[in-house]
Parts: sequence; structure tokens; C-alpha cells
Amino acid sequence: MKRLKQFWWILPFAFIALYPVTLAGGSPYWSGLLIFVGIYVILAVGLDLLMGYTGQISVGHAAYFAIGAYTSGILTAKYGFSPLGAMLIGMILTGAVAWALGRPVLALKEYYLAMATLAFNEIVVALIIGLEWLTGGASGLRDIPPFSLFGFVLANHMHYYYFVWAIVIIVIASSRAVVQSPFGRTLVAIHSDEIAARAFGVDTARYKTRIFVLASIFASMAGSLFTHYMGFLAPDDFGVLTSINILVMLFLGGIGTIYGPILGAFFMKLLPELTYQIHDYELLINGLILIVVLVFMPKGLFGIVTVIRDRIFAKADK
Amino acid sequence: MTDKDETILRVVDVTKSFDGIQALEDVSFGVKTGHIKALIGPNGAGKTTLLNAINGILPPDQGHIHFLGHDVVGQTADRIASLGLSRTFQLIRMFTINNATVLDNVMLGAHMRLHPNIFESIFRRGKVDKGEREARERAMELLKFVGLENAHNVVPTALSFGNQRLVELARSLMTDPKMLLLDEPASGLNDTEVDGFTHLLLAIRNMGITILLVEHNMKLVMNIADDIVVLDFGKKLAEGTPQAICANPEVIEAYLGGAQKECVIS
Amino acid sequence: MADFSHLVQFFFSGLTSGSMYALIAVSLVIVYKVSLLICFAQGEFFVIGALSMVTLVSKGLPMPLAFVLSILISTALGALVQKVLIKPIQNAGIGNLIVMTIAISLALRGSALLIWGKESHILKPFSSGAPIPVLGATLQPQVLWIIGITIIVLLMIWLFFEKTMLGIAMRACAENRLGASLMGISTQKAALLAWAWGSGIGALAGMAIAPLLFMQYGSGVMPMVKGFIAVSIGGLSSIVGSVVAGFLLGTVEAYTIGLISSKFSDVIVFSLLMVVLIFKPSGLFSKG
Repeated sequence: MKRLKQFWWILPFAFIALYPVTLAGGSPYWSGLLIFVGIYVILAVGLDLLMGYTGQISVGHAAYFAIGAYTSGILTAKYGFSPLGAMLIGMILTGAVAWALGRPVLALKEYYLAMATLAFNEIVVALIIGLEWLTGGASGLRDIPPFSLFGFVLANHMHYYYFVWAIVIIVIASSRAVVQSPFGRTLVAIHSDEIAARAFGVDTARYKTRIFVLASIFASMAGSLFTHYMGFLAPDDFGVLTSINILVMLFLGGIGTIYGPILGAFFMKLLPELTYQIHDYELLINGLILIVVLVFMPKGLFGIVTVIRDRIFAKADK
Repeated sequence: MTDKDETILRVVDVTKSFDGIQALEDVSFGVKTGHIKALIGPNGAGKTTLLNAINGILPPDQGHIHFLGHDVVGQTADRIASLGLSRTFQLIRMFTINNATVLDNVMLGAHMRLHPNIFESIFRRGKVDKGEREARERAMELLKFVGLENAHNVVPTALSFGNQRLVELARSLMTDPKMLLLDEPASGLNDTEVDGFTHLLLAIRNMGITILLVEHNMKLVMNIADDIVVLDFGKKLAEGTPQAICANPEVIEAYLGGAQKECVIS
Repeated sequence: MADFSHLVQFFFSGLTSGSMYALIAVSLVIVYKVSLLICFAQGEFFVIGALSMVTLVSKGLPMPLAFVLSILISTALGALVQKVLIKPIQNAGIGNLIVMTIAISLALRGSALLIWGKESHILKPFSSGAPIPVLGATLQPQVLWIIGITIIVLLMIWLFFEKTMLGIAMRACAENRLGASLMGISTQKAALLAWAWGSGIGALAGMAIAPLLFMQYGSGVMPMVKGFIAVSIGGLSSIVGSVVAGFLLGTVEAYTIGLISSKFSDVIVFSLLMVVLIFKPSGLFSKG
């Protein structure tokens, strides 16, 4: 049983690795679903770093998702860039934008910060719609080629699934490394009490900006992955509603845990499938989920999983 | 000139007002290296405002503050902290998000030494882990110094008020400060705890760390202060040795009153 | 280039949307002053008020009755939300409270979607009458209603908060919790009342403008955001500031849409918000 405790984390890996061939039975529908889950995990984990650890509320995370997605889409569809190159350019561009915004915006508190992030999200979407000649405007951007890695085209859904989840694992591993380090401790200090953190030599503006840049780069990567899977882009997918969906996933899964967002993304992408939800119920259900989490289970699903896991191990130790 | 004669902190004509209320007016004094200086006065006299001005949280409107020769007015709090000035707060400010433990709190004091950055956290794990190990050792040493090494794994809010103050002290010491600013560190402590605290502060002074402490507990002040500065309505009322302050009629009238009996040097 | 009559028309648009923004801004300020919370769900009360009135009128109720009932429904809903959802987590830290108001907004909007569907609904104007020609532009009579209602609401707010014991006590709540309880009002009751006021005013704004807009379940989001923009410009604690800012915002927006382009009016308005937030977050009218 002790061995199980040490290696329990292999289970999720095994699940991810085997899923498409076993449970999904090779069906593109189900692996497609998990590709979306993976993309949203990246988005939610990035937001967790920003909100869960550093305490900076963002209601506009989809803006960076959009910048990455459209950069990839435009560069590959219109200018023939390689998808990998376009993705990297998207990451640099998004990171630069976040870096420029970071200091002034993250200096704001609470409501003002929330509104500023919302405003920027709206600005990005409005620009996407307005700059039709570049982005295809409201009717969208089409004919985006699939991702290819050094000549190998990832058109097959199963190949793309492994590619996406390889990136997801890298994102999760790096995020874990960051939070379980002095950097992470500093973020928690900033979240808990900025004034006290400053009294200990923490340049809070700099640290907030840096984690913001990291989170936005992750979102940009997710955007690029999204673009090449969809083959086309529409501004509707990048609005404040999407940002709020990411937020709901984060809270549902368990904010401030890195693993929580995984559970949240799974739950929220799979739930509609399993219960054949009519799209119209989505808003209300999202709202109710968030309310329930805030009032009854602030630690989210991960909190519950941890409690169960600890109970099992406690029993095993006897 | 020996070390003891140097003035590590010099406050010159510091003035600050809020919304028309004069919180500080032309306050000037100095603190000698290696000394313990107490800042006393009635509530609302401006003591915390003065500390806030010194460590950069709320700079003064006018005046200069020299720490180790640098004029720190207008510098950010984190910059001033990096010069070697560490501070505790009147209301305990622990880091509590994500179940941060006592040890996590003390280890945050190593921030300035570790210079955390994202790149190293991901790609240079060996270096980061080594730094963490060393910081952890030092943090445990400091927790032992304040007597809380067994509490390192609990969340600070589970500790008594007095013990939280000790964690604060350990956390500040972790920054390897040259000077400590302590804002009412003994408030909420019982007599035994105050005694323990007294010994700790004396031990800290013996390490060469200068202390400026704001305190209402006159017994503590009398026992450890090398000299005292008294503030009233934002103005400096008096400054001098404990004996001189105790004998000062203005001070007695403005502040000491019934606490006069504590003005006995033990 | 636009001629004078166009400019006048834009002015009337600005007046119309400006009133809407001013009312929403005021409702946000009232809730904030008393419970230190900004309600992201304000836009939903805007919609629920309007759509309730549409439904009641379509069921045959006379307009004035539908009007009053809709206000009551929204007010009660606001109070209910405060009591059941805000109060339990009021000590949870501002991040969670902000997210809670977002959650409430989602839940209310989602409910509105299920109740009223995706279609747009039109409300009859409060009074029948032809559009009034003014200086070459046309003024819908409903606009007069909107302005009239706005003035009456502001008057009522002034009377309540300045002249009644309850109102003064509520203001005291915002400044000093102990003082307020000495004046005989519990902070809980004050918060409840503030939310009721807030949702009521939000609903009023919606109902007043409904005859001029196509209202659907999601129509409240933008007005709420623009109301917040007005509050940011005017100052979070300033009712007067928010009203002025609301009208200013409406006017700027109308002229931008008319003279430049409707596509970029949002970019301009939101950029304006970001500029204000970054350079003077406490609002242009506050001294902070």
C-alpha cells in the first residue's frame, strides 16, 4: 500500500496515455473531446497561477487565448508560416502584451483589476471583429492548416491528442515546479498580504507581472493548439463568457492547487456530453456550479479528492 | 569612532498629514547602531505612521530619513528592506493563503537572498533545491531560537497570539537585518510571554542588530531600552535615557500617568 | 460630414443611453456604499425588470400595474440574492465575493434565457405618440419618459439618503459600522436594503429603455459594464459623480458611433476605461 501512495500519480498518466485506444475506442469524437479538455486545462492552470496563487483576479483570460489563436491562424493560413513558428511568435507576442499591461493593470485592486481585465478582453474581441481584413472579422478565419511538427503533419486526431496532452503535461509540470519553489512562496505571500510581502523585499509589481506573462504565454499556446484543431476561428469563442467559463472550471476543480483545474476542465467539458445537456442550460448550470462551490466547497473537487485519498491512505496505514 | 557610536537611522524633520490632520510634525531623532530604542506615546501620537514612513510604506510629506547613510524617503518598501531594514506590524500579518505553514512564513524571509525567478524554478532545479535546503536549515534554527521549532508545520493561525509574534520575529530575523522596526510586538502577550520576549530582544541586540520598537508595555521598555523617544500629537515630546524620560514631568502628564510605577529600572 | 440635425440626433441618443448608464451607475454606487461590493449581476436585474414587464403586459395587465409589479419582482429578487447568496460568504475575502457576483450574474442570465428564450422582446412605449421633431432630429416620446424617470429616481435617492432616518443610517453604515448600529440599523438590514434599492433601480433603467431597444436575456451585460465604466470615471462612492459620468459616457459613445464607427466605439469606450483605471482609479471626481 505504501508503494501505491508513492506512485498513485501514475494512474492519471496511464489514463491519458491509454484513453484514445481503449475507452475512446479510436473514435475521433471522444478523443476530440479530450483534446478540448487538454486545451482548457492549459488555460485554467495558467489562470490558477495568476488567481489561485498570486491572488490577481482576471475576468479576461480569454484575451490571451485569442491573441495566440489568431496569431497562429493568420500566420499559417494567410502567410504560410509553419505552425510551430507561428505558435512561438504568438507566445512571444502575447507575452509582450502581458508584460506591457502587467505593471499598470496589476497595480489595480480587486474590482478595478477585474474590470480592467474584462475591458482588455472586450478590446481584443472588438479589434478582432473590427479588423476584418486581417482576422476575417465576425465571419471568422478559415482554411487554417493542421499542426505540423518538422514536416510531420498531425492531421490524425489521435496523433494530435498525444501532442496536445504532451504539452499539457509540460505546462502542468512547469507550473508545479514554479509553485513548489521560493518563487511560489513569494506569490503566496503577495496574495496573502502585499504590504507585508514588500516589507520583506518583494518587488510585488515585478513578480505579479512575471506570473501574468507566464499565464498568458500558456493561454497563447492553448490558443494555437485550438486553432489548428478547429481549422477555423470565430471571435465568439474568445469573449468574456469564455473567460468566465475558464474561471468556473478553475473554481470547480479547486483553485490554488494546479491539479484542480484538470478536474474542473474534465468535469465541465464532459458533463454536457454525459447528460446530453441542451446548450441553453449551460449559463444557468455554470452559475449554479460556481455558487455551490463558493458556498459549500471552496476547495473544489480537488479538495474532495484529497480528503478521500487521505482517508484511503489512513485506513491503509492501519 | 566605534561601531556603537554610529547612527544607523537618522530621522530628520519628518512631517506627514492625512486629510488635514497633522499626523507627524518635524520629528527628528537618531538611533545608534547596536542600540535598542523605544518609541512611546499615547495612541494616535503617530508612532505607526512614523514606522510606515521609515520603512517606505507611506512616505512622509517632508523631511529626510537616513538609513546606513542612504536617504530612503521616496524609495519603495522592498528597496528599503533590501538595505537591511526589517519590520513587524501592529496587527499580525501572516501569510495564510494555500495553508502556508509557520515554516513557509519564516522561509519567506529568505526571499532577498534567494532571488527567486521562474526560469530557475523550472530549469535549474538543482540550484533552487540547494538554496531551499539552506534556507530551511536557517529557518529551523531561527524557530529554535524563538522556541517554536515544533510548530514549524502548523498554520500560523493555529498558534496563540504570543507565538505568532514569535514567528514574526523569526521571519524578520531570516532576512539577516541590520535593524528591526517592531510595532507593538508585546501587545496581547501575558507577563510570562513578555519576559521571554525581553530575553529574545536582548539576545538579538547582542547579535549586533539595532532595534527600534514601538511599545506600550512600560515594563518591557524599561528593561531593555537604551534610550527612549516620546511622541505626542505627532510631535517629539522628549528623548533621552529611560531614567530621564521617567522623570520628565511632561511625559508623565501626557502619557505615563499611572504607569509611573513601572518606571523603575530593575 | 454630419450636419446639424445629425448632431442633435446623436445628442438624443447620448441622452438616452446616458440616462441608462447613469441609473445603473447609481445602483452600483448605492450597493457599494453600504456593502462595499460591486454587483456584477446588476445587468441581469436590468433585463429581468424589462422582460417581466413585457410578460405582464402581454398577459393583459395594464401598463402602470405591470410597471409596479416588475419593480417589486426585481427588488425582491435583489434582496433575496443578498440574503441567500451574499450574506453566507460575506467574510470570505473580496476575490470570492467578486466571483460570487459573477456567478449570480450567470445564474440569473441563464434563468432569463430559459424563461424568455433567445428572442428579442419589445415593450410598447409608455405613452403613445408620434416622434417629436426637434431641430431637424426626431425625439422619441419614450426618451422623455426615460429622462423623467431618471430625474425622479435621483430625487428619491437624494430624499431618502439625505432626509430620512433610515437613509442616513444606511449611509452611516458605509462609513462606520459601530455608529450605524448605534443609530438603530443592523449592517445586515442595511445591506439588504441597499441591494433592494440597487436591483430596483437597475430594473427601472431596463424597463424605461425597453421600448427603444430589443431586449433579450443577454442585453444587460453591456449596460452593466458601461455602468461600471461610469462609476470608475465618476468615483466609486460618488452618486453625483456617477450620474455625471454616466451621461458623459452616453454622449461620448453616441457621438463616436455616429461620427466614427460603431465597430470601434467599443474599443474606444473600453480603452477609455482602461486609461481612467490606470491613471486615476479612484475616479475623476474623487480627491483620492
